[in-house]
Amino acid sequence: MRVPMLLLLAMLLSCVAAFAQIDFSGEWAPRFYEDQPERVPGPELGDYLGLPINDAARMRADTWSASIQTLPEWQCRPHSADYIWRGPSQLRISKEVDPVTRQITAFHAEWLRSVDRTIYLDGRPHPEEYAAHSWSGFSTGKWDGDMLTVTVTHLKEGYVRRNGVPRSDLATLTEHWIRHGNWLTVVEIVNDPVYLTEPFVRTTDYELDLHQQIPPYPCGIVEEVDRPEGVVPHFLPGTDTSLAEFPAHHDLPAEAAKGGAETMYPKYQSKLRQK
Amino acid sequence: MNRGVLIAAGIALSLAVPGSIQAQRGRGGQGGAPVTPKAAAPVDLTGYWVSVVTEDWRYRMVTPKKGDYPSIPLNAEGRRVADAWDPAKDEASGDPCKSYGAGNIMRVPGNVHITWEDDNTLRVDTDAGTQTRLFRFAGSPNSSGAPGWQGNSAAQWEFAGGGRGGRGRGNAQDRGGDLKVVTTGMRAGYLQKNGVPYSGNAVVTEYFHRTIESNGDSWLIVTTMIEDPQYLNQQFQRSTHFKRLPDASTWSPSPCTAR
Repeated sequence: MRVPMLLLLAMLLSCVAAFAQIDFSGEWAPRFYEDQPERVPGPELGDYLGLPINDAARMRADTWSASIQTLPEWQCRPHSADYIWRGPSQLRISKEVDPVTRQITAFHAEWLRSVDRTIYLDGRPHPEEYAAHSWSGFSTGKWDGDMLTVTVTHLKEGYVRRNGVPRSDLATLTEHWIRHGNWLTVVEIVNDPVYLTEPFVRTTDYELDLHQQIPPYPCGIVEEVDRPEGVVPHFLPGTDTSLAEFPAHHDLPAEAAKGGAETMYPKYQSKLRQK
Repeated sequence: MNRGVLIAAGIALSLAVPGSIQAQRGRGGQGGAPVTPKAAAPVDLTGYWVSVVTEDWRYRMVTPKKGDYPSIPLNAEGRRVADAWDPAKDEASGDPCKSYGAGNIMRVPGNVHITWEDDNTLRVDTDAGTQTRLFRFAGSPNSSGAPGWQGNSAAQWEFAGGGRGGRGRGNAQDRGGDLKVVTTGMRAGYLQKNGVPYSGNAVVTEYFHRTIESNGDSWLIVTTMIEDPQYLNQQFQRSTHFKRLPDASTWSPSPCTAR
């Protein structure tokens, strides 16, 4: 009888863990109640406000040309796991349930023009350091009460703002998924030893909307611009005069628009008042 | 059935009972004194926190121009009022704190200090605008008198695994959870410094979560939902993050400003 008793105990204790799970599955609509100009029409060139970036990131962004998106290699490039939450797309989250334990073993998240992103909850380890990187990275989750904490590694290079501010492939991402009724809040914390001087934190909100569908997005590549082979659109450092338009248009000091960790903190307001 | 099996099943079932059921019994133990909300807290929110402005920078760190409010779902009346914003009038009427009310105070860049006022009341002080919010759990007396900028805030713990309540047994932090606060009875104020209005009938619902990161950082995540049919055409939600500070060294009280 000892074995059945232990089995029963194990099964019942597994119910304790189940109470810490909350269901995130469903169709979610983004709500642009924060950063609407950046997220919907798109950020202006030279807008690095509130980004804890270093000089290397600033140089990459200042020399970025939006025309790079017309290159065949770039046309079907999806947003990476860290940026996609901020994109103007609906979201579907589905779950995988183990048929025996009935525990959720994985969530899948997909947006328009994104790859399936799997968040494993079965305790598997992350791959070795030199394993392949992808747009969605490799994600594992663990429960922290009702909050799901997700660790993402193995990301391809991406961007923290879609005006050329880069995020390296050495970056890691921590997410906290929080659900209250029909609202989903996702906290993202990006650590990037190459381009950020401090963790970059954002929070994004979605509302449950069961009427929507995620349409297919079969991306086709065409020659959008006739240009010599091998040409990659860019600006040489200091030559993109349009970068000055953003701070001028919004009456902001040019220094603030360049971002940096200092600009994220309230104390920076006293500097702004002195300008 | 074997007696051992029954005992094991009993132990396991008692463990499997959702924490919230036990937490809302309101007793520290059989015959013990009621456990206060302070003792029942599933999460420790106290301490100094600083807002880290990585979102809506242009609408928070500086005062945006009149009429610049693309993220806020105003209805026609809301837009009419926002477009009539006149900070000089607010100053002249002695109302420079309109953007520091409960509908927006957590968006104002600054330091936040959270302490227990007493066993039933959580207190939130802000250095920006020197405002004080009191989150009253069941058992705490309601404030009375005319509506103030911070209104009346009713608080309750939400325990992980489901359930809510202001009281519970000890070791609640092992279970985890968050704080829910519903604020009503505010003076009409601004959702954004450039005069985007909320009315005195607005209802502000907030959830306070805390994270602890592997590098030692800890973040306070405040999700704020505002319902105000007078000026908004739908529920309006924002989420705001604060980094935990080791001490009060950056605490810098400053008065409200209208501009």
